[in-house]
This record gives sequence, structure tokens and C-alpha cells, in this order.
Amino acid sequence: MPVNFDNAATTFPKPVSVRLAAARAAERYGGNAGRGGHTLAMQSSAAVYSARETIAGAFGAQPENVVFTLNCTHALNMAIQGVMSGGGHMIISSLEHNSVARPAAELAVKRKITLSIAEVFPEDSRTVESFRSLIREDTKAVVCTLASNVTGQLLPWRDIAELCRKHGICFIADGAQACGVIEIDMGSGINILCAAGHKGLYGLTGTGLLISDGKYPITPIIQGGTGTASASLRQPELLPEALESGTLNIPGIMSLKAGTEFVRRIGIDKIYAHEDRICRRFIEELRDMPEVAFLRREKASYVPIVSFTIKDVLPERAAAEMSEAGYCLRAGYHCAAVAHAYLGTENGTIRFAPSVFSREKDAAELAGFIKNRFKNKKSVKNY
Amino acid sequence: MKVCILEMPSYTYAVKGEKLLKARGYPCEIKRNEFTGSSGCGFSLAVRRSCREAERILERYSVPYKSSREEGG
Repeated sequence: MPVNFDNAATTFPKPVSVRLAAARAAERYGGNAGRGGHTLAMQSSAAVYSARETIAGAFGAQPENVVFTLNCTHALNMAIQGVMSGGGHMIISSLEHNSVARPAAELAVKRKITLSIAEVFPEDSRTVESFRSLIREDTKAVVCTLASNVTGQLLPWRDIAELCRKHGICFIADGAQACGVIEIDMGSGINILCAAGHKGLYGLTGTGLLISDGKYPITPIIQGGTGTASASLRQPELLPEALESGTLNIPGIMSLKAGTEFVRRIGIDKIYAHEDRICRRFIEELRDMPEVAFLRREKASYVPIVSFTIKDVLPERAAAEMSEAGYCLRAGYHCAAVAHAYLGTENGTIRFAPSVFSREKDAAELAGFIKNRFKNKKSVKNY
Repeated sequence: MKVCILEMPSYTYAVKGEKLLKARGYPCEIKRNEFTGSSGCGFSLAVRRSCREAERILERYSVPYKSSREEGG
């Protein structure tokens, strides 16, 4: 069985409770949630509502403001395009994933919005100032990742949220790498939180979340059946149905509920501490290898992700060799071209990302493999 | 026994209203709308109390409803 250190892309393995929840949903919830009043439909509807309640409880939200999406990209597209549908100015950070950068760029290129990019520094105060300096009278939204998917750097999102609150700007947070490893509460000033269900929340792939505090309207980018007000040709305005056209992924949603319960049961602090310890061990084991450069900066804080490069070895080549040795790590741009342009990593990086199931021993053995294969070696062939 | 039928904007709000009312001792259940009328299909809350009482609670907790009517006597 390969050892998965690519948990920032999707966590694997999944907890037993998650796998059982999905299987049970496939067995029991055969009705279409929110559609029809027969027994099967009502059972599915009740199950989906219970998932909304669990997730709302975990993030300090109201159940009706929990929207189930296909993934974090889906949620971010709905939030960005929905909030900016009337135009205006938007600010994103220099560490954004393409799920933010591409919809933002698309709107800007079509001249529907104007866009600014705030530089992220190791020092939180400089990053906040960077956002502050870009705010204009017509700034409608700030969209930023809570933690970079490339380096794991945590952004000073509470301060950015406060800045947005003071200026009446909608703060849209990309929680893809932060949910499940740091505490996030909608009461902390996030207006719209977008999250992946299949990463730190341990749900199945094909699950995501958009959680709103209800303050900013989100114009739907998809219209269709919602199970209510069906005689009207207008999309319902109330969440969650306004943003949930079409049949829901009930096994996925039930897996996400179970995953969220799993995370709460273990405790986010414990999960963070476990994964952080593994990251530190990995770094420590490679400390005496000058060929390895870590993308970590002294004054910055990180979620448990370690991005690194190996001198004279292309990241994809290194990851391919690690894969052959039984270690799964992601290499390349990690779908974040803006971040790499800013970081100056023209060939991308190799990303080490443990989960709650990862073992320190495996991290040490991977470091041993890297040392053995790449230390003082001049014969690595880059294709 | 009077039954108040509150037409709800969605299943989600029907459950939210149901939980709120049941927690306050108001017997109620979610029903599929029988009269689809001009707005189309949807869900209602059947509350075994007067509409005035049920509406007051929903309004206090900002749970939206589309309409209400009393049945029985």
C-alpha cells in the first residue's frame, strides 16, 4: 500500500465512519432529498438536514446557510461570480489557487470587474497593510485563502476579516487547506467560507461547502430544480436551495457529515499537533541536506504542509521517483500559478502533506529515501 | 382541533420551523403541499395550534414562511 503524503489534494485513507456513512446512505437514502413528500424522499431530506446541522455547528453557522457543493472550486466560483455579479473592484492575495485566480481573472478580462492582487509577506502586519492599501471606494469583495495550498502559509485572515468589516466589504475565504486543521468560526468575520469536503474534513471526493453568514447576497450561477416554488421560472432567493439546483450528492453529504464528526471527535488541536509534528520531523531529517530548500519563512505560520525543492532535480522527476519507492507526493504548480510567480518557483515544488492517519516513522523513512537518492548525486536525469 | 398550515419556502426552513416549534411544545409535522396552486410544489408545516401562536414564534426567530391558513375548528 503506497504511503499517502498528498493529503492536501485529498485525504486518504478515509475514516471507517466516513466509509460506512457513505455506504449506509447508498443503502438507505434512496429518495431524492427535498423532492417529493413520500417516505423515501422525506428520509433523505431529513438526513441531508442533519448534515447541515452538524456542519453548521462545526463552523458557527446556521443550518440554512450551509450549501453543499461539488468541491471547493465550485463553491468559490459561486461565491466570486455571485457576489461580483454587479461589477466592482475585488482584491485577491498573491498566494491564490486557480479556483480563485481564474474566475477572478475571467471577470477582469471581460471587464466585468477590476482586480487587484495583494502581496503576502512573512509578517502578518505587512500582509494586512498590503490589503488595506488596495481598498477603494468601489471594492466589493476580498477573496483570500486562509492557508496557501502551495506552501501552507497561514494568512492573517482574522485581521483581513476585520479590515473588510470596517469597510463594508464582503470577505470570501478559501478554507480548502485550513478546514479541519485550524478552528474556523463564522463569527470571526468571514462572510462566505468555501471549503473542500474531501480534504481536512475527510468526506468523499465530490463534496464541498459554501457557508454564508447571510449578509451578502450571492446571485446563483446555476439555475434549475430546487424542489420548491416550481411553478415559478425565477430561481428561489433563499439559501441553501438558491445555490443547490439539481439533485444532491447524498452519499457524499453523509460522508462529509461523518468526516466533520470525526474531526470534532478527535479535536482540531490534536489533529494539527499530530500533523505539525510529522512536518517538523520531515524537515529535521533533511536539515543536513543542502540540496533541499524548504519554502518556509521565519516569521510566517503554517498549516501542516511542507513545500520543498531539490537542487538540480525537477520536482516532477523527484515525485515520480518517490512514487516508485511507495511515497505519494504532489509536484508541480499545485494549480496555483499566481503563487509560483510570486514565490519564484518556476518549475514548481514538491509538496509533503500528512493527514491524521500519517505516521512519523513513514516521514522519516521518506526523508531517508530522499537523502539516499538525491544527496550529493549528480546523475539525476531530468526528462 | 385547529390546525395551522404554514406554507414554507423550502424543506430546509420547514425543518428549521418544525424543530423550533416542537422545542416549544407545539405539535407539528412537515407535509408536502397538496395545493400546488400558482407557486408550485413545496412543503408546509401543519401545527396543531392557532396560526397566530405559530407565526409569532417563527417571526421571533426569523424563520420565513410564505402563507398561513387555519383548518378545522
